[in-house]
Amino acid sequence: MSDHTTTRFGRRRFLTTLGAAGAATLAAPAFLRAQSREVKVGYILPVTGPLAFEAQLALNGLQQAVDEINGAGGIKSLGGAHITLLPGDTQNKVELGNSEAARLIDQGVTAIIGPFSSLVAFSVRQVTEKNKTPFLLLATVADNVLEGGLRYTFRMQPNGRAMATLTVGNMLEMAKAAGTPIKRVAMMHEDGNFGTTMGNHVEAFAGKMGYELVQRVPYNLRSPDFTAELSKVKATRPDLLVISGYYGDSKIIAETAAKLRIGVHALVGLANAAYSNPRFITENRELTDHLLDGNYWHNPQSPRARAVFEAYQKRFNSVMSNHGVQGYQVMFVLKDALERAGSTDREKVRDAISKTNLTDHILTQDAIRFDDAGENVNASPALLQVQGGKPVVVGPARFVEAKPVFPVPKWKG
Amino acid sequence: MTWLFFQAVVSGLLLGGVYGLVASGLSLIFGVLRIINFAHGAVMMLGMYTTYWLFVLLGVDPYLSILITGPLFFGIGVLIQRIVIEPNRAAAEHNQLLLTLGLALFFENLALVLWQGDFRTVRVSYSGASFMVSDVLVEVPRLIAAGGAVLIALALWAFLRMTDAGKAIRALSEEAEGAMLVGIDVARIRGVAFGIGSACVAVAGALVTPFFYVAPDVGESFNIMAFVVVVLGGMGNFLGALLGGFIVGLAESLGAAFLPGSLKQLVVFGLFVIVLLLRPEGLFGARRGR
Repeated sequence: MSDHTTTRFGRRRFLTTLGAAGAATLAAPAFLRAQSREVKVGYILPVTGPLAFEAQLALNGLQQAVDEINGAGGIKSLGGAHITLLPGDTQNKVELGNSEAARLIDQGVTAIIGPFSSLVAFSVRQVTEKNKTPFLLLATVADNVLEGGLRYTFRMQPNGRAMATLTVGNMLEMAKAAGTPIKRVAMMHEDGNFGTTMGNHVEAFAGKMGYELVQRVPYNLRSPDFTAELSKVKATRPDLLVISGYYGDSKIIAETAAKLRIGVHALVGLANAAYSNPRFITENRELTDHLLDGNYWHNPQSPRARAVFEAYQKRFNSVMSNHGVQGYQVMFVLKDALERAGSTDREKVRDAISKTNLTDHILTQDAIRFDDAGENVNASPALLQVQGGKPVVVGPARFVEAKPVFPVPKWKG
Repeated sequence: MTWLFFQAVVSGLLLGGVYGLVASGLSLIFGVLRIINFAHGAVMMLGMYTTYWLFVLLGVDPYLSILITGPLFFGIGVLIQRIVIEPNRAAAEHNQLLLTLGLALFFENLALVLWQGDFRTVRVSYSGASFMVSDVLVEVPRLIAAGGAVLIALALWAFLRMTDAGKAIRALSEEAEGAMLVGIDVARIRGVAFGIGSACVAVAGALVTPFFYVAPDVGESFNIMAFVVVVLGGMGNFLGALLGGFIVGLAESLGAAFLPGSLKQLVVFGLFVIVLLLRPEGLFGARRGR
């Protein structure tokens, strides 16, 4: 027993010596951190509660980025300052979002990242604006979150409008290239804020983009059966069925559509919570084959993005999905701003974020730049298709990594 | 459009059977205990998790697991009644209502802590089984769920009519004081009724698991529908609940097929309000199952 203790002590001492020699940050991270300055960054995510699983994916991405930044010497313009992540849990509740944001600001964070739900974002932005704290939105799609002349709030990912129109656009382009153009579109969406926003855009752009919306079916996401809804869709003979929904409802819809032999060229999710979700795909291999989804993704043509993707897979033993990509990239947007600001002063960091022009990123888009409202002007989703149990990018054309399977044979009548 | 109509009717009936079984349990509890059990959906959720874990950990088929979930949740129901509800029988009615609401919140948050918010699914070989009758799709797991639900509800109805315990339950629901006077152990019978009601809803949970998903808030949608069904069938009316289940299932499905938008919910809840206004004793006459 005492022998064992001696050995452990000896090994630890040895490692400390190594660390002092500068060979490994691993050995004495606390010591090194205390030496240099630190930048505190707060996150507010629903890490417990109904969105816990998705929030964890985003948190993985944030953590991976922070470790990469710190491992490579921190923020250089701040003398190698390390980023420290401070946690906040919203449980997806508005009141907790506010109090956690206030607490983090009190603890001296330079910026806040979060919070998933648009409803929570609506409320938290008042706290961050009042306290002049940069607020980087994560997984928040509602179009109007940035309305009202905000100064400190920024959104890197596509908003609902960009998400809907670009996804349908990608889909039409892909279908045309495959020689089977899409004319008749049907849409099913959950009848909450998220789905309705998506449905409105798909309906509004029908004429402009040259397709006909033959059926639009909002549904209650807790409904245990969608056979009647899908039969109604089938009766209108659409070429494409677009689905904006959450996990359970999207699963039942895809299953029932297959059994009904719905007869469309393809089923495409629009920011769908299931169709490019690695867990959904693993659990439903046969069902998910050739499902399409418009969602945030890494750029498979970028060597850096591929390296990040592989590092994530190795570390967390799962595919880096949309939330992980966002978490990772939004942290690097902040890092870029901190480098340019050369300060942890919130006002200076805010100004630096607003002048972002970041080309070295992992997304399927051009440079990350923010307009006056705080939206990323080039934000764009990728079109994904499940092939061989993995989502691969099949659109837009310049990012494509695999040939799309289209029309999808199994959805034909 | 006839194809669409028949498809909607079939889907509605299949779903209605499950609503019926869930509502039968709720109705029985109301009839005997005179409380509205808001925790009913949460008990269903617990039944679904039990089915899920029995399948994942021990490989028990969801339908076979009914033999375990049924008795288990009968016991749990008896315990809930004895420990939580019985001591508060003297309390005002709204307090008892809040008590069951509290129980529901407790169970849901307990599930959230124990199993997180993840959606879980049970994939059995027959999960995707289906067949076509001319152009109408019939999904095998839904057919089994509806058939099983009706059989169990009918068996319970027979139990209530033919056994001494069943007669005691009915006596208690019709005339509590009289039941006490003739020597029925009313406290025990209240426990038995709550146990049967809980077993009904847990078994309904087991029956839907092969084609549904399991999550902490999954009971809510069934819970709300069960209230509509019970009002439709008449509070405390056991067979009325079963018939009411079919009516609500049909209304929902036909509404989805032929009305625009999310109007199907409106049809169901509109029915609920109209019945409450015009026929508060329910569509099927007498207040209690005779």
